[in-house]
Amino acid sequence: MSETDLREELKAPVEPLLPIEKKLIGWSLGLGIALLIVLIAFNHFVPIKL
Amino acid sequence: MSDIAVKASEPALAQRALLNEDWLAVAIGLLVFALALFSVGGVDLLGWAVTTSVYTDIAGALAPVAKAYAPLGGVVSLLLTYAALLLVLSIGVSTLGADVRKFATAFTAVFAIAYASWIVGSYAHIAAVTPAEQQKFGISWSLKLTNEGGFVIALLSGLVIANFFPRFAAWLKEAIRPELYVKIAIVILGATVAVTAAARLNLASSLLLRGAAAIVEAYLIYWAVIYYVARKWFGFSREWSVPLASGISICGVAAAIATGGAIRARPAVPVLVSSLVVVFAVVEVLILPFLAQTFLWQEPLVAGAWIGLAIKTDGAAVAGGGITESLIMAKAATEGIKYQPGWILATTTTVKIFIDIFIGIWAFILGYIWTNHIDKGPDKAKAGEIWQRFPKFILGFILVFVISLWLAVGTTPDIAKALPAAAGEANVFRVIFFILTFFSIGVLSDFRKLWQQGFGKLAAVYFVSLFGFVIWVGLLISWLFFSGVKPPLAS
Repeated sequence: MSETDLREELKAPVEPLLPIEKKLIGWSLGLGIALLIVLIAFNHFVPIKL
Repeated sequence: MSDIAVKASEPALAQRALLNEDWLAVAIGLLVFALALFSVGGVDLLGWAVTTSVYTDIAGALAPVAKAYAPLGGVVSLLLTYAALLLVLSIGVSTLGADVRKFATAFTAVFAIAYASWIVGSYAHIAAVTPAEQQKFGISWSLKLTNEGGFVIALLSGLVIANFFPRFAAWLKEAIRPELYVKIAIVILGATVAVTAAARLNLASSLLLRGAAAIVEAYLIYWAVIYYVARKWFGFSREWSVPLASGISICGVAAAIATGGAIRARPAVPVLVSSLVVVFAVVEVLILPFLAQTFLWQEPLVAGAWIGLAIKTDGAAVAGGGITESLIMAKAATEGIKYQPGWILATTTTVKIFIDIFIGIWAFILGYIWTNHIDKGPDKAKAGEIWQRFPKFILGFILVFVISLWLAVGTTPDIAKALPAAAGEANVFRVIFFILTFFSIGVLSDFRKLWQQGFGKLAAVYFVSLFGFVIWVGLLISWLFFSGVKPPLAS
């Protein structure tokens, strides 16, 4: 890929977000936050032992 | 898989290669570990390897790691170490299909400059930490970087070469293999981590459980946000956004290439993203450990986890963890607190390895979504890709860790007692591979060239995501899971 190719590509028209991409982003964030809450609760009830 | 400097010749090399970089790292790492284990049985096969002490008189800087080999002297020990590495790595890269003659000449220069940087970093005015050490060396000031400040000097040497001597950098490229060096180092690190863990099994198992938080954060939270930022705010195409989000959120170079391949991006796309990842990793290594020392020295494990979550290449992250450990231990020592070494680095490594393990699965998930919903075509993502994308060097780390842990807690007291010395000899090579990694990362970071290639917009996504989100969320999560937990004190 030449330098001009890259520059031209970066100026290309924007591809709109497809529903499947929105779903991927939404599910990832939702699941991630839910799992983090579970892990934080776990961390609270099972503290690190020295 | 991620040596940016040698990408251009990859297709031809792939045909000649017998092994890939991951398996080669496993083979060399296991070789070093196996040779070190002989010392448990009383046969010291690696005691001639060179170590560097803090010095004011360079004549006393170098020495063999084992006292039994002391008559060899430092210079002979250094030459033996160089010769052994040259032999093993030359055989190794020949299995990758590389030009061994070119590698050998370039490696000679790489080793010489990188190890010289390490020696400079051990000079007392740079490395001495406590007032007692300064008094011992008869000096009134020092930068207090510990001898691991040599990593930063190796990195700076590489940066100078990349940015001011580009022809020399190009000549070195056959031996500029940061991912290979760091993967070998990580396999060897398994022994040190096991020896450290065996001393405090409860703490070690707690660290492992908390590694799960790193996976959730990197794959489910970072990735989604950065992908959205790249697509919506900066208008990047899907082909660019996937490697970019993976590079910034997961594990830099490896993730950008694995997920780029999974969505069938053109090979140049993840490679260019990888270059950017390396540059930002360099900047982070130069800044974050010092911030950690200043603001997190009272929370050493928060600092270790934070470095693992914030720095996005294996080499830079684990090496950054090493620098952070030395800086925090140095700061704590000046306050009269002496922590057991190894815990901060072990936390960084655990976090990083947990993140690495899931690259294959994430690449498969993206491949499945792309082939079934976005670029529908005859090719479907195959389950075998999970294995194909799995970073195999992690298997080497796990094997070394399990064997070492078994020797430490599951065998006779005599073996358990001899194991730390054996792990220490292997660790000498871990340090040398780290030095080579730092130097190589520097040589790959030609800032001017990247800027000329129109990287401004890509760099803007990286900058906004990293400094606006990744670093702070990483700090918050590290704080939530590790605050209040201190490494054991040295006895």
